[in-house]
Amino acid sequence: MRYSNPVTLQNFCAVMTIVAITCAPAQARDQTPALQALQALQERVNRIGSDLFSPTPHPAEAIKELKAILAIAPDLPEAHLLLGVAYRAQGNPDLMGEAVAELRQALALNPELTQARMILARIYLDLARAGRARDELRVALEKVPDNPQLLTLMAEAERQLGNPKRTVELTRQVLTIDPKFDQARYYLGLALIDLQQHAAAIQELERVVQSGSNPAESNLSLGMAYLETRRLDDAVKVLREATRADPSRPEGHIQLARAYRLKGLLDDAARELKLAAPATGGSLSALYQNIEVDYYLEEGLLRMARGNLDTALQSLEKVLALDPNNAVAQKSLADARKQLRDRTQKKTPGSTR
Amino acid sequence: MIHRRFRLLTLAVAAGSLLVLSGRAQEPVALFDDVTAAAGITFVHQSAATPDKFMMETFGSGVAWIDIDNDGFQDLFFVNGAPGASNTLYKNNRNGTFSNVTDQSGTAGTGTKAYKTGVAVGDYDNDGLLDLFVTAYGSDILYRNLGNGAFADVTTTAGVAGGPGEWSTSAGFFDYDRDGDLDLYVANYVDFRMDENPWCGDRRPGYRMYCNPTIFDGTASRLYRNNGNGTFTDVSKPAGVANPAGKGLGVVFCDYDRDGDQDIYVANDLVRNFLYRNNGEGTFQDVAYAASVGFDINGKPQAGMGVDCGDVDGDGLPELFVTNFSEELNTLYKNHGDGTFEDVTQQIGLGSGLLPLGFGTKLYDYDNDGDLDIHVTNGHVIDNVKLYTPALSYEQKDLLYENVGGKFKDVSAAAGGALQTTRVGRGLAVADFDNDGFPDVAISSVGRKAVLLRNRGVSKNNWIEIRAEGTKSNRFGLGATVRVQTPGALQVREINNAASYESANDIRLHVGLGTARTIPQIEILWPSGTRQILKDIAVNQVLTVKEADTR
Repeated sequence: MRYSNPVTLQNFCAVMTIVAITCAPAQARDQTPALQALQALQERVNRIGSDLFSPTPHPAEAIKELKAILAIAPDLPEAHLLLGVAYRAQGNPDLMGEAVAELRQALALNPELTQARMILARIYLDLARAGRARDELRVALEKVPDNPQLLTLMAEAERQLGNPKRTVELTRQVLTIDPKFDQARYYLGLALIDLQQHAAAIQELERVVQSGSNPAESNLSLGMAYLETRRLDDAVKVLREATRADPSRPEGHIQLARAYRLKGLLDDAARELKLAAPATGGSLSALYQNIEVDYYLEEGLLRMARGNLDTALQSLEKVLALDPNNAVAQKSLADARKQLRDRTQKKTPGSTR
Repeated sequence: MIHRRFRLLTLAVAAGSLLVLSGRAQEPVALFDDVTAAAGITFVHQSAATPDKFMMETFGSGVAWIDIDNDGFQDLFFVNGAPGASNTLYKNNRNGTFSNVTDQSGTAGTGTKAYKTGVAVGDYDNDGLLDLFVTAYGSDILYRNLGNGAFADVTTTAGVAGGPGEWSTSAGFFDYDRDGDLDLYVANYVDFRMDENPWCGDRRPGYRMYCNPTIFDGTASRLYRNNGNGTFTDVSKPAGVANPAGKGLGVVFCDYDRDGDQDIYVANDLVRNFLYRNNGEGTFQDVAYAASVGFDINGKPQAGMGVDCGDVDGDGLPELFVTNFSEELNTLYKNHGDGTFEDVTQQIGLGSGLLPLGFGTKLYDYDNDGDLDIHVTNGHVIDNVKLYTPALSYEQKDLLYENVGGKFKDVSAAAGGALQTTRVGRGLAVADFDNDGFPDVAISSVGRKAVLLRNRGVSKNNWIEIRAEGTKSNRFGLGATVRVQTPGALQVREINNAASYESANDIRLHVGLGTARTIPQIEILWPSGTRQILKDIAVNQVLTVKEADTR
């Protein structure tokens, strides 16, 4: 589960320890040509940083301009940092390697760029490399102890590493400092789900949803928590919000289809699931297979619910091809095969099996 | 070019004769023969492939040409990947065959637990004998040539083992500070850890695949400065080449800006490539953004593998060529001479490189018609790729492009059976092993037999090979710029044996001359700064040139 709120410019500057270029106002300086050129570059970098950390960033334009800046000043760490941010903002998995590369180069040029470390940690979390995220965050927290953003990301890293109790501790520490820090509350909710404390989790996630923060993610997680506790009407309500907030994400459609199916609204479920259908053709990307597993599992369960056992078998076999240890698929597949056998026996009354 | 038309006419006549004699359709004239077995080359690469799909299993190993005893005939060294598997050194018997001298040489490398990858060749101690450097996932090894057919492992003394757990790939010797001894650049790939090997691909039996490098961090490469006393100092950071973002697989040195010192170009896998301009005072600056050689024409990083540098359009400036992943084109960056390059891949006829996954490569004049052609050996990195993309295969054919006035024509299909065989191509190295004036090719293939391709010299064109002998400069003249003037043509080349992928080429400079019967002038600019001019040189010879004692 990702939490992809953009970092705000305020936060950006708050965690920077060396921010002379990106956050300081242009100052009167010696006006030699070299310094004038440097100042012009700084102003361009400032402008790009402001855009990238705004609610409506323009990453493609930023990438183009940052490359031009790096052609003039290849060792400008802030330009590498922002280029990494821009690549990440494009959301293209193929560019994540380049985003990481730019951020690591920024840090090689200036190890004090805590912001680069924080964004790098975020990307590592996106790539399910929680151990590397934790390494970066540890270094960052040595520079900026008690920073809520860093602590929150550390909390999520710990959760991904299988330490939800530590996540609860860290997020509560953050919420003591800043009770309105929704990102921390969100990760707290996820950790409580991991700890099977669904009621408490729902309580926290409802607060995040009410705050209006990142509606796609927060409604999706809350909806899944409702599904776990069979609060189906509530689940449908918030999952609709999740899909409305970001119709492009298949996860919301899959979970909403699940909610409809559990409510017996099979046509609605089928319509919703269609919106989550994966692209055709083979893919060499291994990063997003979990979504495919969820999709085919829901497809199989829906087909079973509609009595289409033959096609249900196909879907469930696809799940097991991608994830052979999927217990729900294994059980459902066995059930579907049994139902098929029973159906065959009814059609052939003379059979002894 | 008149001589080219003449050559084509000759071939047409020959083919016509064949047609008359056989009564069959015209058959292509084979350009290369596979002489592996006839030459006594039996090397089989061991990949140590496991179901765990450790990445290094599929990245193969390199091959090097090295004249170990200065008898004028190139010997052949294959790196063998698997820990405990033996590298193999073949001595050239000067009659088209080779003998395995690995045991006497002490270069087997069986005592290391490292996974052996690439190889570099250079005379680091200026004793007139070429030494070997073997890279690895694990400790690298420097073998000093003792001159009696044996080599000594001097890694520890020299201080070039690299970091623990470092995955080194291509490497090369060059004299970046022009102090007369060879320094060493070692490209490092990703930060891969055996105990951190994620499952990639579908989780059903047989579908696990080698991972995309995107999920691993890059690692900084290493530059070792030669101290002149048998030891090296790691100057990567102060020299400005220790970029941890790099995922280096290929490296080549050339003086792209013609300022008299060698620059470094690194092909990175799925991150932008680096072009380190030599500042001339011991440091480098990565100018890839300014030079437009980091990305493809669409501004995207590619999966760079092998690399070479050479003047393919005859304007005296070296272009950069990079082999890339399948469904990416191999990229040719044209040098504009003002510090910038342009991706001209699609304009110059390299489109057939789209599906194959290129690794080892070399720009060389296979037909001696006076321009640089391109050879690429291919092979996918995902051994079960067909399960995912039926149009692709692990084993692939080589590509051979003929340079036709600065544009390229894919002549692979017409080049004969030796180039129609599929392999999992990785290391590729070029040398004229039989000294007939036509460059030959050795290729290493993952988990398979190596291949030696003998150039049949179909064109009958003229040539010259220059064996540089530095006195103030490094002993084999690496880094020298050579201008070969023939009637109507000037070819500018650099002496550099490091290129391709994890491989080392003939240290002698080979230049095709077309139908030119004399060479009015050869000018050599040595790394020391010495400019040497030779007049009226005969063609079709291996010319040893000793660095003159004048500037």
